[in-house]
This record gives sequence, C-alpha cells and structure tokens, in this order.
Amino acid sequence: MVFLSLSCWIRSRGPDRYWKVQEVLKHARHFRGRKNRCYSLAVRAVRRAFVYATKARRLKKRNMRTLWITRIAAASREHGLKYPALMHNLTKTSVQLNRRVISELAITEPRTFLSLAKLARARQREGLCAVLGDGREPPGVFSRVVLLQ
Amino acid sequence: MSNFTRSAQQWATFARSWFLIDARLQPPGKIASMCSVRLQGKHKPIYHALSDCGDHVVVINTKHIAFSGNKWEQKVYSSHTGYPGGFKQVTATQLHHKDPKAIVKLAVYGMLPKNLHRRTMMQRLHIFPDDELPDDIRANLTEELPQPRAIPRKLSEYTQEEIDAFPRLWTPLVWFRFFSGLRVLLMKTKTHK
Repeated sequence: MVFLSLSCWIRSRGPDRYWKVQEVLKHARHFRGRKNRCYSLAVRAVRRAFVYATKARRLKKRNMRTLWITRIAAASREHGLKYPALMHNLTKTSVQLNRRVISELAITEPRTFLSLAKLARARQREGLCAVLGDGREPPGVFSRVVLLQ
Repeated sequence: MSNFTRSAQQWATFARSWFLIDARLQPPGKIASMCSVRLQGKHKPIYHALSDCGDHVVVINTKHIAFSGNKWEQKVYSSHTGYPGGFKQVTATQLHHKDPKAIVKLAVYGMLPKNLHRRTMMQRLHIFPDDELPDDIRANLTEELPQPRAIPRKLSEYTQEEIDAFPRLWTPLVWFRFFSGLRVLLMKTKTHK
C-alpha cells in the first residue's frame, strides 16, 4: 500500500513568503509586545538580538573572568591575603592554575585553597627576606631595615 | 551522600550571618566600604550578583563617628525637593545634628551598586546611633568585625607613670624658667643704663 497524502502535503505547503516569515518569527516568539507577532517589527528586533548575541559571546568571557577574580579575592581575604599578592606569588611559585580552577577550588575544596594561600604567603615572606638579605645593609647605606630585625 | 544532608548543606551555604561594627571614632567611609562588601556578599567565595547572598550588618555608635580634616564644616550634602527653588545643601555637622544615622547611611547607599537590588541590600543594614540594640537584633549577631582605625587614647587616659616615661625633646617648665630669668636679667641691665 502506498501513502501518497503525506508527500503531497509536503509538496504543496503554502506560499514561500509564509515560511520566510516563520523563519524570522521563530526567533522572536519570546519578545515583548507586537515584536513577537508582527513581521516588520520582529525582523528588526531579531537582527538587533543577533548582533547582541554576537557581541555577548566575547563579553561572556570577560564577565566570567571578573566573577572568578571577585570570588578569589573574597576567598583570599578570608586568609588575610589580598588578591594581587595571592596571584603574583602563585605565578612566582609556578602554580599553573587559572582563575576558573582556583575559584572552583575556593568553593568546593576550601582546604586546598588554604594550602595555596599558605604557599603564596610563604613565597611572599621569602621574597621579603631575600630583599632584606642577611640583615645587613649594603655598604654606605643606612635605613630602618636594620632596626626592624 | 543522601539528598537530605545535601539540602542541609545548601541551607547552610546561603544562611545569612549578622555582622556588628562599632563606629565609635571611625571614619564613615571606611565603615561604609566594610558594610557594602558584606551587604553585597562579596566576602564569600560563592558570590554571584544574582544569587542574593548578602549578609546583615549592624552598625552601632554612629553618633560618635569621626571625620578627618575639615569635613565636618566643608563636606556638603545636597538634595532637591523637586519643587522650584528646592535645592537644599547642608553641611555634615548640620546633617549629623539632625539625624546621627544619616551620614553612614548615605555613605553606604552611595557605595552599593546602582541597581534594583540596592534598596533590598539597604534593608539589611541596621544603624543605631548608640550602643543599645533591640533584643531581637542582638540575638541574631554572629560576628563582630574589627575596627578599621585604632582609636587614639586621650591624654587623660594615660597614667602619670606613662606620661613621665614618654621621651621628650625638651621640658617646657625649664625653658620657661630660663627665658623668664633671661628677661629679668635684660630688664636689670636696661635699668642700670
């Protein structure tokens, strides 16, 4: 038995303009006001929406990075370390974790993050001690560093 | 892990804590920046702008805040009533006399992000001019934050031993005697002439 009705329906499925309009309205159905049903308004709004979507693909990366930085800053402040000090000293100790991973560690594995903060703090102290040297000033220089020790 | 304990963890994560800040002899801007961070929830590693994870902040002793420099006379708070000629300007002193909570409140309000959450976050800020708290707020408090500035001691709060032990470059009384003796000597020489 041969079913011809379905293939006939597909063949004669109305004017092309209807389908062209539907292609645009498909993307505008959730818009507010008449933009979701009137073609001439919808086509403009859909074009704007696509432009925003294109731009937002770049912006999303930027925004996510600022969010990670905010979270890492909050977590490092809990351990008495500022964000720039933490990141700088982690790069100095060649910890190659990016901001996304560090912020996820701060949320889900606080103790791992604490050890990272301790590492950065140790590196910070080490740098300061190296600058101070053996506690003696270079010849011909007098400063308060001697008094601090 | 069962679903029950996970839901309990979730509740604990988004629980609101109540911070206490003592504003006695503190700069209002520093107090306000501490408040705005906690009200937004930016002190938590789970921070997200939409997740509403801010905490409550209780500020006491706002009557005793300390501006530095000449801000009490020169800092001006401007407002407009909306009517013609309704532009009002008051100095910090006048505003503080009118409402001892206003300076801290305005400082925090200005430091919060300018969006629809700002009023909600301000509702979680509780300001008291004195150190007396209502019992329902006192019962909620979880943590007291350290003051940003160390309060300097008055001369009357030092004991006599500490004052005597303080290193001095010169003693005023001896110099006074020296100069007065010199003056007497000069006058005598003048009279001799």
